[in-house]
Amino acid sequence: MRHHAPAMATVEIRELSKRFGKVDAVRHLSFDVQAGRVTGFLGPNGAGKSTTLRALLGLIRPTAGTATFDGKRYEELEHPSAAVGAVLEDASFHPGRSARNHLRVLATTGRHPASRVDEVLSAVGLGDAADRRVKGYSMGMKQRLGIAAALLGDPEVLLLDEPTNGLDPPGIAWMRGMVREQAAQGRAVLISSHLLAEVSQSVDDVVVIANGELRAQGTLDAVLGGDDAPETEVSSEDQDTLAAALTAAGATVQRDRDKLLVPGMTPAQVGAIAAKAQVTVLGLAPRARSLEQAFMALTAERRS
Amino acid sequence: MSALLQAELLKLRTTRTFAALIGSATVVSLLVLVLGTTLSDFETEEDVRAAFAGDFTGLFILLLGAMGMAGEWRHKTITSTILAAPDRLRLLVAKAVSYAMAGVVVSFVITAALMIVGTVILSSRDQVTLDSATLLDIMWRNLVVSAYLGALGVLIGTIVRSQVVAIVGILIFAFVVEFTLFGLVPDVAKFSPLNGAPGGVIDVSFDGDQTDLLAPGIAALVMLGWVSTLFAAGAALLRGRDLT
Repeated sequence: MRHHAPAMATVEIRELSKRFGKVDAVRHLSFDVQAGRVTGFLGPNGAGKSTTLRALLGLIRPTAGTATFDGKRYEELEHPSAAVGAVLEDASFHPGRSARNHLRVLATTGRHPASRVDEVLSAVGLGDAADRRVKGYSMGMKQRLGIAAALLGDPEVLLLDEPTNGLDPPGIAWMRGMVREQAAQGRAVLISSHLLAEVSQSVDDVVVIANGELRAQGTLDAVLGGDDAPETEVSSEDQDTLAAALTAAGATVQRDRDKLLVPGMTPAQVGAIAAKAQVTVLGLAPRARSLEQAFMALTAERRS
Repeated sequence: MSALLQAELLKLRTTRTFAALIGSATVVSLLVLVLGTTLSDFETEEDVRAAFAGDFTGLFILLLGAMGMAGEWRHKTITSTILAAPDRLRLLVAKAVSYAMAGVVVSFVITAALMIVGTVILSSRDQVTLDSATLLDIMWRNLVVSAYLGALGVLIGTIVRSQVVAIVGILIFAFVVEFTLFGLVPDVAKFSPLNGAPGGVIDVSFDGDQTDLLAPGIAALVMLGWVSTLFAAGAALLRGRDLT
């Protein structure tokens, strides 16, 4: 069982930028990933998630900034594959090689005990298919094999790029459980996805990027609740009067059946306006934005 | 480095490409030898020497190296390879050395088979055969050239990255460009990387004109120059390349 000091950032991204030709794939990106927590790295396709992960792994050279593990670049780590395990989006395998042989090659390259091959194959549920050639594997089996490869060195950090791609519902459930289990053992887990609903159940923290820039970061609750953009739903005995009072106070009011939705105002603010307008309030509550809504709002803000 | 070497050799052993290419090299080389020794007269030691040294093994080893390295990009296994071994320079050295070693082993097996089969056929036909010292001389020269071609193939695959382009390019260069050079400017062609310099080491010219060949020592230095040049180019490309 692993135990890490939770206050220490295991992964540190600082002012990371990467330009491909005329395209800024990542711009001045900074965030941390803590040990023992699962951090969701969220953004639409093309947001710069994979570029960031590849810069972190030394596969691409940043234009500026740093991406380090406990202060060291990936290639500076004494035993990289024992410190960091990664599953990249286009993780690929020689189609003619069996899963067992694929892992044997990686274990040999990374100087890991040969016994780890069978251990990780069992851990991901591929023990029975270990000697089949990979070209006969389903997408889900390939994802599991990628996870097995990442776990070979029993690493302290796991980086997973879109790991639920191509997985069926049982596979996604397995992935969620596996990710939580790894974090519970003290590992820092960074999991990127554009399918927000698929990671929202397994992450502690989220980092949202769009167009290569950081849009939000914090705990899942903070970002989900939209602290920076409150929304309140209210019902009263006289909706027309209340709506007029809210509008007069500068709010944009939306009607939703028998409720009024008031973006940009907290329940306290709405309650105060209702009291001033002498309208009896029947119900007043903050409206929790879904991660999808928060994500859309975060990525849309700078488009307009 | 030894772990990287072991891993590269394991990669070679765990796909069918290696077995298929080596099987093809063995079959083609033996077929040519059997037909030649059965149908032709071998009146001099030079004739026999050419039969034992001028086979297709080198070409297959060259293609194997190129396909092995370019295949890392084709199957995108280069990413997991570099994640396990981030020092790209060491990786390239290991890859080149492992294919050189594979070339030596394969060449030893095929050359030995050619020598045994050829000697049996020639003896049965009362033709000229070679003594063991000469056979040993042919053997070590073949091994040196095979090691060179294995490493050269890896370096070509590093630079080209496409298996198809590498294979077609090698075949065109070996059978069109260099043959044309030998016809037009033999003094230049004898320095060429695939037929010229290797021909000098094994002391067999593909067109039978020994005057076109470099002395073995000079030829070995030229081969070293080719490997060094391609290694420098391959290393620069591999180290500077973003793996997106």
